[in-house]
Amino acid sequence: MESSCESVVILIPAKNEVQTVGKVIDEIKSKLSATIVVIDDASTDDTIKTARRAGAIVLSLPFSLGAWGAIQTGLRYAAKHNFKIAITMDADGQHEADSIPILLNAIHKCDVVIGAYPQRGSLSRQIAWQLFRKLSGINLEDLTSGLRAYNSKAIELLASKAATLLDYQDMGVLILLHSAGLQIVEVPTLMYPRSNGHSRIFNSWWAVGKYMLCTGILCLAHGKYGKKCRTK
Amino acid sequence: MSYQITSATLGLCLATIILWLIRRDHLHSRHGFWWLLVALGVMLLGIFPTIIDKLAIFFGVSYPPTLLFILGMGMILIKVINIDLHQSDLERKIRSLAQRMAILEGEKQDKIL
Repeated sequence: MESSCESVVILIPAKNEVQTVGKVIDEIKSKLSATIVVIDDASTDDTIKTARRAGAIVLSLPFSLGAWGAIQTGLRYAAKHNFKIAITMDADGQHEADSIPILLNAIHKCDVVIGAYPQRGSLSRQIAWQLFRKLSGINLEDLTSGLRAYNSKAIELLASKAATLLDYQDMGVLILLHSAGLQIVEVPTLMYPRSNGHSRIFNSWWAVGKYMLCTGILCLAHGKYGKKCRTK
Repeated sequence: MSYQITSATLGLCLATIILWLIRRDHLHSRHGFWWLLVALGVMLLGIFPTIIDKLAIFFGVSYPPTLLFILGMGMILIKVINIDLHQSDLERKIRSLAQRMAILEGEKQDKIL
């Protein structure tokens, strides 16, 4: 399924993903022709070289800004170069390149598309999400999915200063989009188990605690308690 | 030695250190103003410790040292919040700077290839 997407940019944040990033890029290239941008979040391995060899544009951060900081770098790049649609994907091979056309199909009718795979996640994660849904009033199935498509309106908003101090791509970003009145739609997609490495959020109890606290505060500060999110 | 001499010495010493730091350009002028006020305050309170008693009577505080502690802690709290605000602002700027640098470098590299 070859489709030409001149105004589409694929953003892949990567931190020490040398084993998978090349494969991920190759797979996207075999499915569609779009600009691929890898944002290197201060990797210490050969991620940059591998990504460049695979034919991606590499934006290399001088020091680690975390998952969202890397994605925002890509979104700022997208805004600067007038891309109409930006798709974010994980570099660890979790997301299928086949999902991209599904996202592209759905983005014409809304502002943000989330490739959702809510079946993943342990019980504790489900409980955490349920809590955040209640706190923020955002009723989406998959809050943490890194597979998303943004249109130019969403890109512009997320590339702005208001989003710079966020730390994770999930709740804070969703709340920002939601309160700006942008329409978020979920489409079901398939996800592979991580072929290497582990979640950057759920990898230690300390990190989980920090994440829960940060996100909880964010929800309380900006969320609209009780109000339901408009999702079509 | 009367307590007034002790408090005056402490106040003047603190004020001198602060003024010296400002003059030596170790403090940004924005912080300099705050610390100038602090220097003035400790100097006045050091030389005239009874100010706090009069203030306490005025505000209806029966034990004057509490007023001193509350005022002092209040000022410290304001200052600390101020520092955190400033810190957040710097964090935002530093992140933007790192992102812009990465983008510029990426564009340059893209042109070479």
